[in-house]
Amino acid sequence: MRFNILIGGRAGQGINELANILSRALGKAGFYVFNYRDYGSLITGGHNFNILCISDKKIGSFDYKYDVVLALNKETLEIHRQNFHKNTTFIINFNENRENFIFLNANKDKTENMAFATALFKILGLEKDYLLDEVKKRFAGKSMLEKDIEVIEHFYSKDFDKEIKVNHEKTSKVVLNGAEGTAKGAVISGVDVYFAYPMTPATTLLNFLAKEQDKIFFAYTFEDEISCANAGVGASFSGNRAMIGTSGGGFDLMTEALSLQGMTELPLVVYLAQRPGPSTGVPTYTGQNDLLVACFGGHGEFSRVVIAPGNAKECIEKTNEAFYLAEKFGVTSIILTDKHLVESDFSFNEFKLKEIKIPERKLKPGMPGILFRRSSYEHDSDWNNAEDAKNVKESFEKRLEKQKMLEKEAKKFEMYKIYGKGKDLIIGWGSTKGAILDALDSLDARFLQILYMSPFPKEISGFIKNARTVFIVENNATSQLSKLVAQNTGFIIEDRNKILKFDGRPFIPQEIIDELKKRGVK
Amino acid sequence: MARQSKIKKARITKKEMKKAEKVCDISKAWLDTNVKNTWCPGCPNFLILDAFKRAICELATSGQKKKEELVVVTDIGCNAKIYDYVSLSGINALHGRILPLAFGIKAGNPNLKPVCFGGDGGTYNEGLSHFLNACRYNMDMTLIVHNNQVFSLTAGQASTVTEQGFVEKTHPFGVKEKPFNPIALALEAGVSFVARVSALDIMEMKRVMQEAIMHKGFAFIEILQPCIVFHNNSDFLRTSTYKINEMDFENALKEARKWNYSQEGKAGLGIFFRKQDRTFEQKNLEWKLRNKIKIIS
Repeated sequence: MRFNILIGGRAGQGINELANILSRALGKAGFYVFNYRDYGSLITGGHNFNILCISDKKIGSFDYKYDVVLALNKETLEIHRQNFHKNTTFIINFNENRENFIFLNANKDKTENMAFATALFKILGLEKDYLLDEVKKRFAGKSMLEKDIEVIEHFYSKDFDKEIKVNHEKTSKVVLNGAEGTAKGAVISGVDVYFAYPMTPATTLLNFLAKEQDKIFFAYTFEDEISCANAGVGASFSGNRAMIGTSGGGFDLMTEALSLQGMTELPLVVYLAQRPGPSTGVPTYTGQNDLLVACFGGHGEFSRVVIAPGNAKECIEKTNEAFYLAEKFGVTSIILTDKHLVESDFSFNEFKLKEIKIPERKLKPGMPGILFRRSSYEHDSDWNNAEDAKNVKESFEKRLEKQKMLEKEAKKFEMYKIYGKGKDLIIGWGSTKGAILDALDSLDARFLQILYMSPFPKEISGFIKNARTVFIVENNATSQLSKLVAQNTGFIIEDRNKILKFDGRPFIPQEIIDELKKRGVK
Repeated sequence: MARQSKIKKARITKKEMKKAEKVCDISKAWLDTNVKNTWCPGCPNFLILDAFKRAICELATSGQKKKEELVVVTDIGCNAKIYDYVSLSGINALHGRILPLAFGIKAGNPNLKPVCFGGDGGTYNEGLSHFLNACRYNMDMTLIVHNNQVFSLTAGQASTVTEQGFVEKTHPFGVKEKPFNPIALALEAGVSFVARVSALDIMEMKRVMQEAIMHKGFAFIEILQPCIVFHNNSDFLRTSTYKINEMDFENALKEARKWNYSQEGKAGLGIFFRKQDRTFEQKNLEWKLRNKIKIIS
């Protein structure tokens, strides 16, 4: 059973913070949760909301039918009116006496959000300790903490004359978002430096890594993306595991340095969090429109790794693999995510990580007697610049040989995943995974999730051949993955079988079910 | 006030070149490479290379700097070929991006000392924002700009420091804009060491390079250099320069503004200004110590 909670209010009211606290506390209480964040490109004012879905079964998506609404302002009730049903419960802190309305009468200060959280916990019949633990952890050492605890105790002792029963498991869940996952993956991979310039939605990772500077050596924002990318190559030159991060616009600026990476063969990991373009586009929303630029951006021909994780746990694993492959072969590894993946909370049962051991560098500049040289020019085997035809050809072959070695090595890892049973095949990648998996319960179809975009798992052509119809689901307008599929398998997905959404909003399962049923899937 | 005296005519004769080679004999075993040099015969780049080798050789033999601590970071252009001509660790980077690359090297390993070679095109056109920010960050590194006031390897186009009225193929009616004043820019951006030297004076270049490399913080040397093919201002450099002494910030700025990079007036040469300031690495280290953060080296 799925239960959807809407948390809405003005930007600046701490909507996302409240949703994050709730998703983690509810996860601790045993719910599977999914927390979607929707906000505009402004700092205060406007309307922000989170949709928090809880369930006793695994979920990876949200829905627009709200069972409980935490309305931090009146506007929330207006904006989302069409998505309420007759049993929707409203928790409010402005005086309005209607059926199903719970008026908190809490102080309108910074502790207001805690009153909302506590009321939700009370009507769901959950112990307050889960909430208290999360709040204590989050605000440890902050002056607000005591007042927050007071408010929680006070409101938990109140009787709201309402009880809602939602089933949940007993075991606690791990709740984390894609950015946290990527940060964890980078830290277990021994990242030494992370350079990034602020850009939504990539900034979340910078925030996480900047906080964890006791574990990593250095996280810093240089004057622009060009500088960050070149500094990344520089840090790699001096023997570090270097990572840089950005979104589409910044990635365009960084591609020059990726090309430098291709020539100098200094390992580099790039975190690319997509948002809808072209240009500034829709900065705070989601899209999958940078797949091809990630695979082909940068002048000249060189090998690279592009991996697209589909949830927060895959972010950890695939970031670890990205570091491994970059170090082992001296290539750029791009971790391709998007806003929906990095800013949404996912939940998992407790899991143990399989860490991949990353090879150490044998040669570094600064070692006695070592000449460590790299060049952006074509060079001979001693890294002296050399332009003669024979050398140019041989160097090219050496660099492109890596793509073959990568193809072989990447087979050790999950380059794709296959789910479900049925005659039809749905292909998807990245953040659409959650919605497709949730839709799959109602469909007679298999879901093929492609994780490695480069090197591409060519063996997926087997699934394509055996399928009655092949569908593709993507958060973009031109179906970029189908171009990669065609390039690598020779199979062309028909236009009518492409289910594309490009309004900046992620898919919800029902949309996928409806679109597929229209096209004859049972 | 600065003591002003004209430097001697620094015409480099064949005899002098031979003499210089002899002095450098010791350095040959250390720093020479067997890559064929492709600079134009007679290019002042040979003098800069020579001065650099002497500077490094002396610093290394006297134990002030270890050879392996140095990393040569070079731009694109004639200056950048120095990557192939000195036997030091190094990276031949992208046009205009030597400074960001060096930031990364330094942030990644504070024990290394990047010595960056760029041209006026790379530093004052393509990489101007990096140049200004490098002055602000004050990382412990050296920037040596070969300023011949023209893009040479691409056949003579004007850069942002070319004098007004200079005629070339892309500016057939002459350059209309005033040139930047890089010394003044660097001072305003907070540089902690700034000097200007002439490429025709090996010994002065060597001295200033050594001072710059031993300076703790960001050191910027501008070498005024004729491009003997596209922008030959050798006569100006021989006759219209004078030596300056180090001075305080205000006077350094006044001194910098005295010459506007035209081929008129007189240009002061020497170390303009130097101060000891906390470096980027020191500030980062202090922050970590203050916050009791584990330091990984």
